[in-house]
Amino acid sequence: MSTLKPVLSRTFQLILVLWAVVTILFLMFRLMPGNPLAAYIDPTFTLEQQEALIRQFGLDESLLRQYFTYLGNLLQGELGYSFRYRTPVAERIWLLLPNTLILTFSSLIVAYIFGILAGAWLAWRRASRAEAFALPIVLATRAMPEFWLGMVLLAIFSFSLGIFPAGGTRSAGTEYESLWSLYTSADFLSHLALPMLTLAIYSQGLPLLLMRSNMLDVMKEDFVTMAKVKGLSPYTIVIKHGARNALLPVMTSFAISVGYQLQGNVVVESVFSWPGLGRELVSAVSASDYPLAQGAFLMIAVVVILMNLIADLLYTFLDPRISHA
Amino acid sequence: MKTLFKLASTSLVGMALLAGPTWAQDQIRTIHLLSRPQAAQPAEFQAVQLIAQEWRKLGLDVEVDVMPWEQMSSAVWYDRDKWDVTAWQMTGRPERSDPDEIIYNLFHSSTAESGYNFIGYSNPEYDAVVEKQRVTIDPAERQKLVRQAQEILAKDQPNMMLVHPEQAFAFDKNIWEEDSVVNQSGIGIRNTWTWLSLAPKTDQKDIIVNSSDNVIAVNPLYISGVTDSFITELLYDRLFRVGPDGLPTEWAAETFEWRDDKTIAVTIRSDMMWHDGKPVTAEDVKFSYETTTGGEAPMYAPFGQSISSVEIEGDNVVVFTLTNPSASFITSSLAKINLIPKHVWEPILADLATKEENAESYQEEMPIGSGPYKFDRWLTNEEIVLSANSGHFNAPQAERWILRLVPNAEAALGMLRSGEINFLTDFAGDPQVLIDAAEADGDIEVVSTVDIGFRYVAFNNRRAPFDDPAFRSALSSAVDRRLIVKAAFKGFAVASNSVVSPALEFWHDKAVVENFKAGPDIAKSMLDEAGYTIVDGRLAYPEGVKETLGE
Repeated sequence: MSTLKPVLSRTFQLILVLWAVVTILFLMFRLMPGNPLAAYIDPTFTLEQQEALIRQFGLDESLLRQYFTYLGNLLQGELGYSFRYRTPVAERIWLLLPNTLILTFSSLIVAYIFGILAGAWLAWRRASRAEAFALPIVLATRAMPEFWLGMVLLAIFSFSLGIFPAGGTRSAGTEYESLWSLYTSADFLSHLALPMLTLAIYSQGLPLLLMRSNMLDVMKEDFVTMAKVKGLSPYTIVIKHGARNALLPVMTSFAISVGYQLQGNVVVESVFSWPGLGRELVSAVSASDYPLAQGAFLMIAVVVILMNLIADLLYTFLDPRISHA
Repeated sequence: MKTLFKLASTSLVGMALLAGPTWAQDQIRTIHLLSRPQAAQPAEFQAVQLIAQEWRKLGLDVEVDVMPWEQMSSAVWYDRDKWDVTAWQMTGRPERSDPDEIIYNLFHSSTAESGYNFIGYSNPEYDAVVEKQRVTIDPAERQKLVRQAQEILAKDQPNMMLVHPEQAFAFDKNIWEEDSVVNQSGIGIRNTWTWLSLAPKTDQKDIIVNSSDNVIAVNPLYISGVTDSFITELLYDRLFRVGPDGLPTEWAAETFEWRDDKTIAVTIRSDMMWHDGKPVTAEDVKFSYETTTGGEAPMYAPFGQSISSVEIEGDNVVVFTLTNPSASFITSSLAKINLIPKHVWEPILADLATKEENAESYQEEMPIGSGPYKFDRWLTNEEIVLSANSGHFNAPQAERWILRLVPNAEAALGMLRSGEINFLTDFAGDPQVLIDAAEADGDIEVVSTVDIGFRYVAFNNRRAPFDDPAFRSALSSAVDRRLIVKAAFKGFAVASNSVVSPALEFWHDKAVVENFKAGPDIAKSMLDEAGYTIVDGRLAYPEGVKETLGE
């Protein structure tokens, strides 16, 4: 009972937040200047053809009516039809989502493994010359715009050195039997390298700094002093005794990072021609394809909200000091 | 009451005369000049700034209003009497190789209310000339009329023509034979003829091209975008194709014959096959034309509107009867409408007839045409792969044609240098960057071509002072086009004074461009001659003309 209640109240909050997001999205695109279909109605159309198109997309209904239709469709998982592709939005989002998830999770895993290890090491080397050198670099990587970092990596590793390809998920015209054979191919991994690295460099700062400050707290605890007194090796003290205790907040921050990372994808996918959801969002907005942009925004919002929920719940279950009761 | 009013007005005029010239002439209101944002259209934005600056020198008060395309198009297109001046563009398409679409639709008074003549230009003399060229089949005779139309436009200046842009494309000359690249007049080296004749020098036999736009649809009944039409042009045959010289040439048609000025008989080739192995018949051709005009394909429908009936004679002759004689029929209809297989599309269309959606919303899993390339696969937002149709009467030299979707212009250029692509067909960056990169690389050949399309500033001919040809001419003459070419287009454009591009050599009237003189002094003296003077530091109407639209 005591664990069920927080889950329920959190879930209720989640629904409320989702409803707000959905409503804002609906209004945002309808308050933009100009006829929403202007970009898709060819001037050579007769008035009848134009009206047929407007009817087809339900834009002749009142705003309130459109809103309820939209909510009703959402409940059934319907995201409407893209103005530009004239195909269901949901279909397109499902096609592109796997590419985005692979990029997001691979870069986060790399960022967290590196961040956790480097953070623990830096805590151990507190007030050393290594720290004086490393900390400003970490802060700088957090401040670098992702598109700029992406372009710099492209210029160095692709244009100048020719080590990695400049875009896409595979070489032109190559075919793979299954998704699995694609994802495990050297071709795919070399295409993944640069966008993954860009996102990883950008996001390793959070786990690194978090890990470092947690470690500094843990290292002051009595059991660490005890371990030092026992004469254990630095490796055993840092990894076995310190890191395991400092890890908990870092793991919950992983969930929140997934949400931030999806926003980073918007930029990085465009730089590296990665066929994912972020790039689709950019092109949908610039082409005024409102249903598609709305759907992509919603998808990203859902992931962010869900990940926040998971982070919250993880705390409840993993850390006995925090209780929602 | 009437006499009273008359009395009052005459006394007003009398008073105005007594009070001196400041009363007699109305200052021209603030003119609003529309442009798209710098981020979206840098050249247009820059040109508009220069134009506004030159007009201000004449004493006009000019305000530049920047807005995105969606807003601008609906403001200009749907509220036709509410705007003053706007930057605008027409893009080059192969079917615009015939001047009819541009000179007729853009300026004929019948299209002023809801069609392409959104500027509201109306000149009966002009109407007569463009109507006549439409029905004049003899090319030499028609050429005279098309040039006459250009002369009338040069005199009236309904629009202020700016430039015909130059488009630069590039390819890897280590991979492709340089002399197998075809430069199509007004279109450039990125064209169907190049994709057919491009000869490989090495084992790399795949043509790998790029586009920054996503592919929207691969649909023979839907004009969904410039990039998409590269694909449909390769997958589907047409009776004619616009040739490298801009004139139509027989394609799926073996021969043709004008029986009279409203009847054309086309004999189709007997050796054609659909990609699924079935033969292409006269029945398919008839079906293709009837579908296009039948209401399920609204964007293609205008290209078939002059057809009144399509009949089959014998095995392989298709006879088109037109409602009116049409000189541009071969280019704008027979070289435009895709041939589609009846056995594939008949059931699809029957199903669509019961629905609100039309054929434009339908995407085939595996598009079937009869063209020189076959559809292989489509990876969403990543690539489209076509493979050569070796059984075609004009089979390509290359093995595959692969379109990569690359939104980042810098990356596209990097890919050309690294070999990830070998033919750059879309470069949104600064052309000079491309030329510098090609020089640094040594293996890359850049070819730039003058476009059929053009950039211009449209005057709202419905509204004073733009209803006065003398005023429009003066404003147009105020800006030296060389300035626009250099400053806004960085040299990648040619100055224009005609809607018919110099790329269409046969139709273009050189004289109207050569005789066009521009400069602030010329503009001032033209305004002076037409009675426009400066009143209190601002340009004013000639005597007797009132400002009725001032705020």
